[in-house]
Amino acid sequence: MAPSRWPERAALPAAVAGTLAVIAVVFYYPVATVFAEAVLDAGRLTLDPLLSVLGDPFYTGVVHHLFVDPAGVPAGLLAWVDAGAPPVEFGLFGFTAYQAALSTLASVALGLPGAYVLARYDFRGRETVRSLTIVPFVLPSILVAVGFLAMFGQTGVLNDLLGAVGLGPVEVVFTLEAIVIAHAFYNAPLVIRLVATAWESVDRRQVETARAMGASPLRAFLDVVVPAIRPALLTAALLTFVFTFLSFPIVLALGGLELATVEVWVFARVQALDLSEAATLATLETLVSLVLMYLYLRYESRQRATTGAGQPLPRKPLATGWATLRSPVRLALAGYAVVAAVVFLGPLVSLLLESVTAPDGSFTTAYYEFLLTQQASTAAGTARPLPAVLNSLVYGAGTLLLAVPMGVVVAVVATRGGRGSRLAETVLSAPLAVSGIVVGLGLLQTMVFGTVLFGYRLTAAGPVAVVFAHAAAAYPFVTRNVAPALGGLDSRYHDAARSLGASRLRALLDVDLRLVATAVLAGAAFAFAISVGEFDSTVLLAEGTDSYTMPVALERYVGNRSLGPNLGPATAMGTVLLAVTGLSFVAIDRLGGRWEP
Amino acid sequence: MRRRTFLRAAGAGSLAALAGCAATPTGDGTTPPPEETTGGATRTPRETIDGTPSGTLRVATYDSFTGEGTAGTYLKSAFEDEYPGVTVEFTTPSNGVNQYIQRKQSGAPIDADLYVGVNTDDLVRADERLDDALFMHSRDHLDRADTIKPDLEIDPEGRAVPYDTGYISLVYDESAIEAPETFDDLLEPAYEDALITQNAQQSDPGQAFLLWTIDAKGEDGYLDYWDSLVENGVTILDDWQPAYNAYMNEEAPMVVSYSTDQVFYGADADLTRHQVGFIEGEGYANPETMARFADTDQPALARLFMDFVLQPDHQGQVAERNVQFPAVTDAQLGETFSELAKEPPEAVTFTYDQLQGNVDEWTDAWARRVVGN
Repeated sequence: MAPSRWPERAALPAAVAGTLAVIAVVFYYPVATVFAEAVLDAGRLTLDPLLSVLGDPFYTGVVHHLFVDPAGVPAGLLAWVDAGAPPVEFGLFGFTAYQAALSTLASVALGLPGAYVLARYDFRGRETVRSLTIVPFVLPSILVAVGFLAMFGQTGVLNDLLGAVGLGPVEVVFTLEAIVIAHAFYNAPLVIRLVATAWESVDRRQVETARAMGASPLRAFLDVVVPAIRPALLTAALLTFVFTFLSFPIVLALGGLELATVEVWVFARVQALDLSEAATLATLETLVSLVLMYLYLRYESRQRATTGAGQPLPRKPLATGWATLRSPVRLALAGYAVVAAVVFLGPLVSLLLESVTAPDGSFTTAYYEFLLTQQASTAAGTARPLPAVLNSLVYGAGTLLLAVPMGVVVAVVATRGGRGSRLAETVLSAPLAVSGIVVGLGLLQTMVFGTVLFGYRLTAAGPVAVVFAHAAAAYPFVTRNVAPALGGLDSRYHDAARSLGASRLRALLDVDLRLVATAVLAGAAFAFAISVGEFDSTVLLAEGTDSYTMPVALERYVGNRSLGPNLGPATAMGTVLLAVTGLSFVAIDRLGGRWEP
Repeated sequence: MRRRTFLRAAGAGSLAALAGCAATPTGDGTTPPPEETTGGATRTPRETIDGTPSGTLRVATYDSFTGEGTAGTYLKSAFEDEYPGVTVEFTTPSNGVNQYIQRKQSGAPIDADLYVGVNTDDLVRADERLDDALFMHSRDHLDRADTIKPDLEIDPEGRAVPYDTGYISLVYDESAIEAPETFDDLLEPAYEDALITQNAQQSDPGQAFLLWTIDAKGEDGYLDYWDSLVENGVTILDDWQPAYNAYMNEEAPMVVSYSTDQVFYGADADLTRHQVGFIEGEGYANPETMARFADTDQPALARLFMDFVLQPDHQGQVAERNVQFPAVTDAQLGETFSELAKEPPEAVTFTYDQLQGNVDEWTDAWARRVVGN
């Protein structure tokens, strides 16, 4: 090795160390201080909080017998069978998991056809639609609630439409269905983006080879395409399950307290400063999520779908004139388009309409004028729209620049294989599996209040702290996009580069990342989305008056009563947020499409 | 926030300043030596100001008290006009009073002199969670103490002093429904699916409504009452704004809200959907109070500000801008406000002593019962 090569050799280990340092400071340490409350009592280890939660039928239903009276379980089982096996309750955790499972099914059902259309068909505006699919992901829950109420409410748009054709009315809001549809609205974009990316990287030559060897189109699809998209689909399903398992504000805004999740209780315990029970509940939530994550990663590592190096499958035109009506697949897709329009566009368009509608139903521009008034205001404590937009964009860009390398580094480490790498990746995916309330509380206790070291109290809050916190929340998305693609790479390209004298870093940058560029790009879009939509940590760390973001400003406008007690100002700001993020995603995809590592 | 001002002065070019990182010697925290207290506040003699008031007063409060056109902004400019040497700075922690309880617990400095917007349950929680007092006594040192409406006084220790109050009531649509006379009426078929309220675990009006039912049905009867209420289709949403928004979207003909509802709309508006209903001829009083932090190094200036807030003209302004009722008997209110803001014939409220040791258990038992249904 020539001496001049050492920086390149040191680059990867240094990147790993840097990544770990960031995550440790803004994630592991803060969260550990909260989780410690679950197992520590005056400095001594204790299992009491954990056992009291597990042994509480309210939280765990019939499972609580295992912890309260394990010896009596067999007799209890027999008695239950004798009674004719009546339905049993699984408590708050059981209901939360049930709700998350339904939400996951709905998100996959809504996302998969969308991914298929985007990956396999050509139509005008395809690229733009693809970029915009991620927009619902960043909407604050209060606005989703507003949009859903206006769309699906008793006097909503849907019931108006149904009434016009002599149907309805349907009662959707304040039911489990409403929560499930809202969760699908939030998470189907995950399915669409992840699966479409995987689908586009299917090598057409493999399909053609299979066909040339006599496989039917269906056979070729099952043997080549399905294995290639399965990891992405399962990743999306897993993430959706974890997110909806941890779902909080939307559950009470569209369902009601009777449909509460565990996270509702975590929040209530934090409010009451009963941190021990809050931490215990959150620990159990996180355990459930991480165990699922680990099982999934073990499964994924056994999948070997070669991707990326070939040419994508050719796309078919979506509309073929009158012949469209004779194509059953295209007719089915038209049906899907109607459903997607109701679920995605319905709430978004309703939200836009709300922003120009006065309480009495007349057209008004008052809410946009309100934004201008706020912009012109000099009063302390006023959240002005323009700085909010700029801050969001700066933080989003900063997060992207930080989270993409972090996510790629973790993906490289994860795909190295070796003993314990699944476990390591699981632990490194933890930011996905910890409730936002707990992360916020941890950041408050450690960074905002400060940590005492060597007689000094160190505090950190402000723009850089916000970006670091966002990056910690966002990098797992990059990893989840990039790791499967890297893992499926044909290693011959990398080996060839290495044998021609490229350093490991050079081979990674020039060969591997080029081959998985679409996945890196999708990860970057997610990183930006996470940053723009983040609220809990931002509102704590953007302490002071001038580093608020769009969601924080929006929250301020929710509490603003200057135009009466309505959400008009918030919906106007929400429209701005939608426009800004929509344009950003299109820009990221367009610029990223030309990006050459 | 002197730390931040200093950093700005030190040139915000460096990364540490940009990140808002700061290191302060821990001995610097001006924590007074712990005093023997009995959960209450130690009575210190009245503090006086030598010469003209000057310096910075750091007021912690909730979000919507500050900003364009709010009571907070009005008070800041009026106070600074009156005392040119003083600057009022607001800080709005997202988790309210809890921020300071937790700061005190972890030994972090309290970066504020007084808190505006303390509820009775905040006070109860602060005393339950802390060994030392978070707030100091103020009432006996105020010139305007005698003008405060007696039934708004929530703190037996005189630390938290009311500056306005809301009354929780029903807001209903008179074209769809008649106002329920009693709590039992709400269980009738006529009121099936008719009421939207808020989650008492996270919402002030939601908690007030729950406490009101506890007052009416007793500690032993309220859970059964709620069983029947849930049976009859009450909807419990997370917070006041989503609940009110659902009501305005005609999801139900009644919502738990404030008796000042009509003030937002004015006498000329169509008030069909803004009728105020007082169940059993009552409303639940939810006084908002202000209290000085025990760790303040500006006790006299903070006291001056409290007296200032209680002046008749400022009380009128605070009430109208906050759309709440004033806390003093001699507030100067506009005629329109007095006409549109409805006061209940009788006010119900739980005192500090009644909530102490109970409010958490009541709320948790209630929430479990609702979810279990």
